[in-house]
Amino acid sequence: MVKWNKDSKLNGLMVLLAAIGLWEIVSRLGLINALFFPPMTKILSTFFQLVFSGEILHQVLMSLKRAAAGYFLAAIVFIPLGLAMGIFQWLHRALEIIVETLRPIPPPVVVPVAMLFFGLGDEMKIFVIFFSCAWPILLNTIDGVRNVDRVLVYTARTFGLSQGRLIAKVILPAAAPQIMTGLRISLGITLILVVISEMVGSSDGIGYFILDSQRRFKVTQMYAGMLMLAVLGYALNQIFFLFHKKALAWHEGLTKSRR
Amino acid sequence: MKPFARINLPGVLSLLALLLVWEISARSSKVIHLYFPAISEVVRSLVDLIQSRELVGHLLASLGRFFIGYLLSAGIAVTLGILLGYFRRAYTFSEVLIEFLRPMPSVAMIPVAILLLGIGNSMIVAVTVYACTWPILINTIDGVKNIEPTLIDTGRTFGLGRWKILKRIVLPAAFPYIVTGLRVSLAIALILVTTSEMVVGGNGLGFFILDEERSLKTTNMYAGIVLVAILGYGLNRLFLLVESKAMAWHRGATARG
Repeated sequence: MVKWNKDSKLNGLMVLLAAIGLWEIVSRLGLINALFFPPMTKILSTFFQLVFSGEILHQVLMSLKRAAAGYFLAAIVFIPLGLAMGIFQWLHRALEIIVETLRPIPPPVVVPVAMLFFGLGDEMKIFVIFFSCAWPILLNTIDGVRNVDRVLVYTARTFGLSQGRLIAKVILPAAAPQIMTGLRISLGITLILVVISEMVGSSDGIGYFILDSQRRFKVTQMYAGMLMLAVLGYALNQIFFLFHKKALAWHEGLTKSRR
Repeated sequence: MKPFARINLPGVLSLLALLLVWEISARSSKVIHLYFPAISEVVRSLVDLIQSRELVGHLLASLGRFFIGYLLSAGIAVTLGILLGYFRRAYTFSEVLIEFLRPMPSVAMIPVAILLLGIGNSMIVAVTVYACTWPILINTIDGVKNIEPTLIDTGRTFGLGRWKILKRIVLPAAFPYIVTGLRVSLAIALILVTTSEMVVGGNGLGFFILDEERSLKTTNMYAGIVLVAILGYGLNRLFLLVESKAMAWHRGATARG
């Protein structure tokens, strides 16, 4: 028999499976209210039914569409703005107080404002995501630009690089890791805000689906929706991780060749 | 002029210019006024709402939920994080479970909490605790795991017991990490409190803002948002204040070893 390795990572997996098994058993035996905690097997079968019938995929696609629009819009607007604010001191000083005034607003509170302006449509959610992703992207980009090694900039100037080329070839690559940090933080925020805005004002999307299932007391379906959301969160993180590795490989190559 | 040298004049001016444009356009156009009531009216209705005590009740409700949820999660997550970081085996056993639960956005727990706890304070506190626990827990585990083993070995050599090592060495060394987790969770707590209040209604600032929007009392809605922004800013300042006090202690504790 194989000896039990007490430090193996497999133990963690076993604990997870044991927890799921325990859930299944106590639910089936009625030790906990099966109305609130339906057996795991039931949740899984509902999950796969919903996936294969395409119902839940439709909801996820709606959410993904909004999330992507808000996220990329924020990146397109706030990375250039952050670059400009990092490079031009006067611009930073002019906008700093406005940014610091808007930043402490908790993002969910923007949902009612967005509803006032855009109604209950996609634009409302896109705006909310756009607003809440703004700060991590903006502040990290500014920081990234400000932390660029001065020697790099001076050297580039000595070699007569124009302002445009200086930004494209020196500042942007050097600030890239920190811009990435901002984008990663914003990814998590995006997922939270798409769910919030769909819970508060929507008739579709995964956030609406979960809350609506609860309100109609379709508890199994609610858990299946949450499982879907967890899968989605995990997948988005992995995609970002791959993208990050690629982007940073380019970055590493560039900094190496310069040395 | 010297005392004002530190004031960011261009920044103040551009904020004032923005507010002035807002004020003028709100007063000159009915359509704009519907969406952006003049900033002077927003301020006046904020003052009125506070004087009439209407907003004070909502503010206190939100603050109570915030503090109970935040402090509870801090207590739970720091304790759990130290245990999981200190006892390596406990961590290998729970790692997969943690990584399985973490990627799901915490707001998705709101429906479950409603189902189990109804729509009272306990439900809002529960989701706040759930959401705030993750950053604090992960950071505390990291902090404890990153402690120089020589520190602990030295403590052992001097015959310190487990409890003393925990108190004198592990906790101070992990402290900066714990603070980082606590700072991240501060914003998260405010998000969860306002979101739950919007979803379940009743009272609280989140509910107030959404409710005023639905009854098209736009001025009141903005007044509520201004108050929430002040609250967010104030809590952040309070945190920095406590942090600097605690960091002074931390410096003392680590300097003494």
